[in-house]
Amino acid sequence: MTPIQFILIIGFLFTGLFYFVRLRNRIADVLLLLILVGVAVLFILFPEWTSVLAKKLGVGRGTDLVLYICIVLFYFVILKLYARMRKLEQQITDLIRKQALDEVEKLVKK
Amino acid sequence: MGDSAIFIIIPSFNEETVLRSTVEPLLHKGYSIVVVDDGSLNEQAKFIADLPVTVIRQQQNLGQGAALETGTQYALANDASYVVHFDADGQHNFSDIESLLAPIQNNEADVVFGSRFLTKQSSLPFTRSLLLHTARYVNFLFTGLLLTDAHNGLRAFNRKAAELIRIKENRMAHASEILILVKKHKLRFTEVAVEVRYTEYSKKKGQSGWNSIRILFDLLLHKLLR
Repeated sequence: MTPIQFILIIGFLFTGLFYFVRLRNRIADVLLLLILVGVAVLFILFPEWTSVLAKKLGVGRGTDLVLYICIVLFYFVILKLYARMRKLEQQITDLIRKQALDEVEKLVKK
Repeated sequence: MGDSAIFIIIPSFNEETVLRSTVEPLLHKGYSIVVVDDGSLNEQAKFIADLPVTVIRQQQNLGQGAALETGTQYALANDASYVVHFDADGQHNFSDIESLLAPIQNNEADVVFGSRFLTKQSSLPFTRSLLLHTARYVNFLFTGLLLTDAHNGLRAFNRKAAELIRIKENRMAHASEILILVKKHKLRFTEVAVEVRYTEYSKKKGQSGWNSIRILFDLLLHKLLR
């Protein structure tokens, strides 16, 4: 094992553990995470596998394949984050609106 | 018919210099006026405290769509029969409200949109005109409704429509969201010619053309995530 493989694997395992602890209750997310970490570790240990897979899919090099997959995942994650952001925004809006309407009602009653 | 059942919702974000001149003519008509202070720097209530107007203050600036929704919820809770959206910056003419409400009162429509393009307009800047015409077709793509004016702040609803149209787009994409909801709930709608005045103030205070990109983005997310 080369030093870079060691560093990458440790890194992935740590992030995996971190997410695992936080996502304990969400089976689907944990499964997805385990698969992603598993694949990452496999590809780090056997980088030539990416090349084999890449050739099968019509991509020149293994690293290129990894890059393409990363781009797709990246867009997916951004979209998920936007969805989360809009949900938060809606919750804040509801709170501020409720407070504003309550305050008006108090004024009218006086 | 009592005009106090007609609720005029005026979202106001830092409009203190023109707010009074926008509100005063409406009062003579006997409408119920609801000013929604959208987290302005200076409390808008201070500038019109002597007028018989309801001011709802949102503690944070959420955007025009959110302010309109807050005002509408207040109006519905206070037995409004008609809800009218009206801009605070003095763009709209108060006398247009009557013609806007006419199709609703004659039971010909549930929602009436103001349009500046049904009559010849001379004061419209060219770039604005180009942008608005592009926006019409973008709106059509997203909503399936083709109006003559895409982003006119003057519109009227009967109670049924006001209850069905819950605005969730806090910022300017609400104009398109309303179209989506009109189509979804199969509401009857029509357009009425209204005046839009381009004063120096409204040009400065109004949206820059670049904001259309933000609206488009919000609209895309709206379609994508719901």
